[in-house]
Amino acid sequence: MAEKLVIMVTHGPDQPELASIPFSMAGGAVASDVEVVMGFQADGCLLVKKGVADTVAAPEFAPLGKLLPTLQEMGVKFLVCSPCAKSRGMALEDLIDGAEIVAAGRFIAEITSATNSLAY
Amino acid sequence: MADTSIAVTTVVDARGLLCPMPIIRLAKAMKELAPGQLLKIQATDRGSVADIPAWAGSTGNELVEWHEEDGVFVFLLRKGQGG
Repeated sequence: MAEKLVIMVTHGPDQPELASIPFSMAGGAVASDVEVVMGFQADGCLLVKKGVADTVAAPEFAPLGKLLPTLQEMGVKFLVCSPCAKSRGMALEDLIDGAEIVAAGRFIAEITSATNSLAY
Repeated sequence: MADTSIAVTTVVDARGLLCPMPIIRLAKAMKELAPGQLLKIQATDRGSVADIPAWAGSTGNELVEWHEEDGVFVFLLRKGQGG
């Protein structure tokens, strides 16, 4: 995997299309042998709270409840903004298994070591 | 003319699947093949017509041909040497 893509997600379940597109792009990337790191900030954090993905589906996009575990199985990493999670009352145990709570330094390290990044 | 005399090894039915599931199914199925083997995928998502050729190009696999059959897009791909 020579290529690496970081995808930042800032929209949550109240905007299902903007919440779904980054996961679809991640799917296209991992299917193309690109390493993918997804970063969740603001309401985007809510998407990786246990059980929430199952409630998000945008018309004509694969439902998140199905896509998210597929991405995890294919090696996509999920990083969650620490202050964003804390301000929403979320701790590590509230997140899906495998998700990490990180801060700005880790996000920047991931982005500067990536070949491309996208923000939604 | 591309040589299609080798039998298709795997058929992937991605009909009715929504973005990005067709290409995820394709990538997973292709990993199981040996270089030179053929895979056929059927999809109903119009985006596949652009998606699958681009995917083949970026992953080192060959799109042998594609056509439309009653609203279903059918692609024939040959596994490349790389993956």
